[in-house]
Parts: sequence; structure tokens; C-alpha cells
Amino acid sequence: MIDRLLEQARRHTDGGADALWRRVERTSVAFEWGRLKSAGVTEETGVNLRVRHGGCVGVAGTTAADVSLADLVARALASAALGEAVDLPFPPRAPVPPVPTYFDRAGEASLDHLIQMGRGLLDRLAREGCRVNVALERETAETRVANSAGAAGSYRSSAIAVSADVWRIAGDDVLVLGDAFDGADLPSDAALHAIAASINTRLDRALTVVAPPEGALPVVFTPAGLAALLLPVTQALSGKAVLQGISPLAGKDGQGGVFDAAFSLSDDATCVGRPASRPIDDECVPSRVTRLVERGVVQRFIYDLETAARAKAQSTGHGQRGIFGKPVPGYTNVVLGPTPDGVGARHAVPLQLGGGLLANIRDGLLVDELIGVGQGNVIGGAFSHPVALAYRVERGEITGRVKDAAVAGNVYELWKRVGGFGNDARWTGSRYAPSVLLEGVSVARR
Amino acid sequence: MIDRLTAALGRSRADYTEIRVERTWSTAVTFRGRRLESATASEDQGGFVRVLNRAAGWGVASFTSLDRLDAMVARAHELSRAVRVDPPIRLADVAPHQAEAMLDLDGDVRGVSLAEKKRLLEAYNGAMLAVSDRIVDTLATYRDEVSEYWFVNSDGTILHELRPEVTLSGTAVARRDGTIEKGLESVGLRRGWNSVQDGLAGFRTAAERAVQLLDAPMVRGGTYPVILDPELAGVFIHEAFGHLSEADFVYENPQARAMMTLGRRFGKPVLHVGDNGAAPGLRGTLPFDDEGTPTQDTPLITAGVLVGRLHSRETAATMGERPTGNARAVSFRHAPIVRMTNTYIGNGRGTFDDLIRDVTLGVYACSAFGGQTLLENFSFTAAYGHMIRDGHVAELIKDVVLAGNLFQTLDRIDHIAGDFRWNQMGGGCGKGGQYPLAVTEGAPHMRIEEALVGGDVPA
Repeated sequence: MIDRLLEQARRHTDGGADALWRRVERTSVAFEWGRLKSAGVTEETGVNLRVRHGGCVGVAGTTAADVSLADLVARALASAALGEAVDLPFPPRAPVPPVPTYFDRAGEASLDHLIQMGRGLLDRLAREGCRVNVALERETAETRVANSAGAAGSYRSSAIAVSADVWRIAGDDVLVLGDAFDGADLPSDAALHAIAASINTRLDRALTVVAPPEGALPVVFTPAGLAALLLPVTQALSGKAVLQGISPLAGKDGQGGVFDAAFSLSDDATCVGRPASRPIDDECVPSRVTRLVERGVVQRFIYDLETAARAKAQSTGHGQRGIFGKPVPGYTNVVLGPTPDGVGARHAVPLQLGGGLLANIRDGLLVDELIGVGQGNVIGGAFSHPVALAYRVERGEITGRVKDAAVAGNVYELWKRVGGFGNDARWTGSRYAPSVLLEGVSVARR
Repeated sequence: MIDRLTAALGRSRADYTEIRVERTWSTAVTFRGRRLESATASEDQGGFVRVLNRAAGWGVASFTSLDRLDAMVARAHELSRAVRVDPPIRLADVAPHQAEAMLDLDGDVRGVSLAEKKRLLEAYNGAMLAVSDRIVDTLATYRDEVSEYWFVNSDGTILHELRPEVTLSGTAVARRDGTIEKGLESVGLRRGWNSVQDGLAGFRTAAERAVQLLDAPMVRGGTYPVILDPELAGVFIHEAFGHLSEADFVYENPQARAMMTLGRRFGKPVLHVGDNGAAPGLRGTLPFDDEGTPTQDTPLITAGVLVGRLHSRETAATMGERPTGNARAVSFRHAPIVRMTNTYIGNGRGTFDDLIRDVTLGVYACSAFGGQTLLENFSFTAAYGHMIRDGHVAELIKDVVLAGNLFQTLDRIDHIAGDFRWNQMGGGCGKGGQYPLAVTEGAPHMRIEEALVGGDVPA
């Protein structure tokens, strides 16, 4: 279909076209409050077309199976007629790296197998006074991208998501703790065990509630708790933010003193076993590893084709597009520190919470989840969030969970000096990171 | 279409079957800075089937190809049978309805050219850029849709609706050296083209605010008496209390049920809260929910006491209560779950000045950048604020983040003014992977005797 569509588009445009076609099937199972409740399937097919005509770019998308190709081309042309001029070159055919994206065991896993995995997880999490939700989803997809310059790619992919959360309500104290596995292949029994162990370990430590400390303190952020500290940085490393003049990191590439010398960040679209990995991006640019920050020095920003064209840069293979709207620059697998080795890498939480960073803390916090991450003026770097799940650390030991506390600071100040990286690097969604110790984080209590 | 759906219902072997089909035409225009990012027209369509069998669970299927309708009904039946459930799932009775509801399109957006929509947004975006050369970036979006909706179920309900929606939003980013601030404007209406013609002033104000915030100090962290403006009060009641009143949170969780026992006191007698899916002319308003239950006004807190909660047919049956018309899905891609519609804090008495008259040092928190709740704990980021000094509104402040415990905070609401208004904003509510759901919030100004305000914390 995509070839006929491009052929049709080529006849009506003077600057070429590209298109993405995607078919997704999902099977999902949900256990609600400890009981298997529902099973579902999803089948979705859509196509997104971009044309360049008269120097301007237009897009159109549809999920309607009965759409006429001529209609879709006409809508894209109408969109281009209003567009602004951009010198968008569609990339020519180029070698595409081999990236395994489809795993038979995951793609062919039966509904019963998903249900069994869910039951196994429920059994491991059963505990007096607690309720458990478990959700499992298997996705298979077929993606085709092509452009009028002769570049094309097509791949099948599989993805498995398993998530569990435990709810403990005692009077008005509500504690919710969860963890998840995301991978392109089925989780091993060890990986499922790790989800349960991660939840149980953190739950055991949370049963005692202690008063929060106060002041500028050492705080260890777990791989999950790091979200608030990395979000402004990834936003600022987007070529789009640079182009718009709102990136605090613009123009700082190659300079020292911006981040701690031990801070390295990369984006790896070729990482084996990750659902976000792919051989080619959604605009026919081959995938690669992009070093964003190396030993504290900013190396590169991410670009899709249009942002790159406007910024007079090269696409870094970060074009992401859905069925509706135009492509945007987006990350794949963000890795803090050295790139992980091995398929799927570790999902396991280490036995020791805090990744070995707590030993020298006289009084501080271990932060696992914050409330309100992503709200407010993120890219500026200032943050202030109440804790959802955090533990007090006294004389190197976790003494209990703290409630009614908030942490605040400026990420660009905090990342200048890192107290240490933990030995517990793991995947949390599409981010791979260890725990991190930062000094002088403001902690407020009520 | 109705004939096609009822025929498919007739062929279903399940005890209960529902089918929903949607066809949505939408256009979207986006400006970033001075540049048009995109102007597009899209068409989205698909169906959703959900079935239930005795001693079995829900089987659900969603699909974009309507040719697959019969196959998906059969597949949902198989899935349901594969899920053994004990005790069985029951659904509360709802009388069958047959209705054609063609909402007022108020200037059908499908009859307006993409070029006209671009011109409108260009003017609004231009108003933000014209405020100051400190405005270094803007993001302005216009989105509209008309959705044709069909719903049938095996209880005999047959619905056919035409639903319009139009949303406008603007973000203005002001910068001076390393300081970056933003101002927001957002409008969301279940109406059409005629309703979005006078938005210029709102966009300009957002940009002016961003520039003013460059010079505003960060609020000093601590506890204060806090007055919320109607917009932030609305977001607060939605996030901090509304989600707890969704019965899927409590119906099969004995501890949660104990925490949310009807008759429990949650606040002072001034506090009245409800959810009204039938309120005329609001974005969260529809005649029926996505299970075919009529929408209604549901009191949740009356004079400080918990009196009700929001239900689907399943949660209502389990708890022996009545369905409230709150089972909603964002699209054919999802199953209906318990959601809010138009959530409100009821009107109080007096004016804004009455709330601040006896406050010597406090915070006036206005508008919302966002809010998140983790049940008993919440966090809201006000778009801006003012200090209140000796009974008067004083200097502009920024980075006003309100954090707290729900139970304590509700109980500390001690004064509610009589200046209620609905806030017709864009965006929407997210839950269970379903975002953005069209909802509205409404409230008067209200005062919290004491609340934790995050910000600059002295080391």
C-alpha cells in the first residue's frame, strides 16, 4: 500500500514524499484487586503521509480502511499549501544496522501464558492487608517506512509489558508501590521474580513511618526517582528546544563545567531487547547510538529531519511519528552512564536499596518516587516536588518511610557535582540508569 | 450503521454484548514561535466490543477496520470465556434508551477551511509575540473535531450522537539570560467555530504574565493560609478528591472502602462537592456515558460529609448503589472506566475580599500548570501567585507548588466565596492510560487555613 501511496504522491508533488504504515496488534490481561477480570485484543492499522510541494511540507493521516489514496494525497497537499517553506531533503537509501526487534517467544505467547505469568506474580506479591493489580500486554507490530528518494525500511517488532502495583491502606495512610518489566522478549522467571522482590523489599522498608529530615541534605535518587532530574536535561538536549531558543544547554556543547565529569548520557536505538529499539527511524534514517553528554561535556542534540533542516544540522535518527500529525524528535533508549550489555539487560533490583550509596550518609533521604514530575517550568531546571515514596537515611541505614516532605533544587546546579553513581543500574521504562547521590538537595517538611 | 450494529449484536453468543463505533473528523493547527508547525486534517475511525458471560470475565476488542466487526464480536466472546471469574461480575440495571442526540455544532468546524483556522490561530499567536521582545518562544494550538458516535447493547439501548469539540491553547515563553518563565492560556469547549472567535485577550494576558514572572521572586517555602482562585480550586477538587470518589478505587478493596465510608466527615460544613455530567453547555457534558447510562448531577460531599461516589454499572452492582453515568472511554480504543465529568465545589458566600481580609501573611495561588495526586498526597503547580499581606493582594510570586495531604487539606478549607465559575479549559484528565478525557472543573475562590507551599527553602 505504501508503495502505491508514494507513487500517487510523487505524481502530484514537486518535492517528493515519505510515508509510514503501521499495523499493531495487542493482547492484554488485567488482574484487578487480585482477581483476573478481563482479556482484550486490539487491532489497529494506520498510515501517515508527508509531501513536499512548492517548497512547503504537509502531512495527513488516517485509520480509515476505506480511504482513497487520492484523498489522502489531496489532504496532505492542502496541508502543504498552508505550510511554511522548509528545505527538507528526504534521505537516500543507506545501510541499515541489524537490530533484532521481533522475538518469537513474545510474538507467539498464548493468552494462557500471559495469564499464568500474571498469576505467578500475584502469588509472589500476596500479603495480608494489601491488594494487588497486575496488567500484562503483548504487542506485535509491523512497520514500513519509505520515501521518494528510494530509502525504505520494514520490520516486525514485539513488546511485552508486565506491571504490578500493591496497595496498602491502613486508616488514612495509603501506600502504593509498583514495578514493571518492559522488553521486546518474554521476561525470564528471574525477571518476574525481580519485580516481586523489588516491590516486597521497598514495601518492607516502608511499613515504619518516620519524621522527615529538613535542610540542604544528601539525597540518593533511585533509578525510578531520577525522572525529575533527567527530564529537564533530555528536554534541553532536544534540537527543537535549541532551535526555539529555550534550551539552557544551547551553545554549551564542547564546554566543560556544565555537568560533573562522571556524567555521561546517550540514546541508543539499537539496544537489543528493548521495545523502543528499531533498525531505522520513522523517517528512513538508520538507527545508531547518539552520545549526548560524554564525561560531563555536551556532545550533541537530537534531531529529526525537519528540525535538522531548520537548524542546518543532520538528523540523528530520532524522527518519531504517529498516524496523525507530523514527525517530531523523540528519544528511544536513554542511557545514563556506560551502555548496558546483554539482551534485555537487568530489570532486577539489587538486593541493596540505594545501590551502595547510603553508607556515608549521616542524615538524608532515599527518593524513589516524586509527585508532579513534568509539571511546571521543567526545562528551566528548577524543581519542587512532594515525595510519593521516600525513605529517611540515618548513619548509613534506612530508618523508615517519610511522608509530607518535599524536595527542591535546580538540576543544572545539582548535576555539576555528583556524590556517586550506584551499582544498581537497571531499566525503568526506556531509561537505563543507576541510583545517584546528589549533595545539597533542599528538603522541606510540614 | 445502527442496522449493521444490531445485526452483529444479534449474532453474539455472549450473555451481554455492547458495541461502540466512532468516526471522527479533526483538524489541528500548530504555531511554534513565528512559524507554522503544521496544519492537518485527519480522519480516525474504529469500533469497540465488550462482552460478558456468566462466571466469566470481560472480553474486549477494539479495531480500526469495521469489516472485522463480526470477527471481533466472536473474539471478544472467546476472550471472555477464557477468563474465569468468581464471584461473577454483575451489572446494575439501567433502563434501555433509544436516542438520537445531535449536539449543537455551533458553527460546524467541518465547513470552515483550514486556511481560516490558520488565520485565527496566527492572530492569537501573534498577540503573544507582540507583547514583548522578551517573549522568545510560543506554542499555540488549535484543534477541533466532530465525532459521530453509535452505541448499542444487548439490553436494548441504541444511541446515535454527533459531538463537537474545539480547543485552543497558548504557551508563551519569556526569557532573560538564564531565567525562563512561561504563561498559559487554555480553552476547551464542546462547541464549534463560533465559540472561539474572541480569544485574543486571553492569549495576550498569558504572554504578559510570562514577562512579569521574569522579575517575580520565588515564593519562600513554608506553611501559609492559601487562597485558591476558582481555576486552581477546580483542579484541586478534581485531582485531590474527585479521583478518590471514583468507585473502581473502592469497590473491591475493603480498606479503601472503609476509608471512603459514606457519612464520613471530610470537611467543614461550608464544603459541598459534586460531579454533574448533565450540566448544560460544558465540555464534560454528554447525554449518556459509554455504557448507555444517562448522565446526572451526583452530590459527593454535602456540608462536609461524604454522601456519594461515581459509578459504572459494575461498581454500582458490587456496592449495591445506583449507576451515575460515569463510565467513560476516551475513544473506541478503550473500555469505559469510572471517570469524572464536570466536577465542582459548590458556591459559598461573600466575596474574594472577605477571604483575605483577616490574612496577615498568606499566598494567593492562581491558575494551574498542572496537578498530580497519589491518593492521599497531592501536588499542584500554580501558574503564578501573589503574596497576601495585611489583608491585601501584594507582590507577584512564582514557583508556587502546593503540596499536602488530602484529608488534612480538605478539613482546613474554612471559607468559600460566592463567586462560582466553570473553567472551560482544554487538555483533559488521564487515568489508566486513557488521556485526554474531556472534563470541566468549577469552583469559587476558596481558602485553606494552612497549607504547605514548596519553593525556595532556606538551607
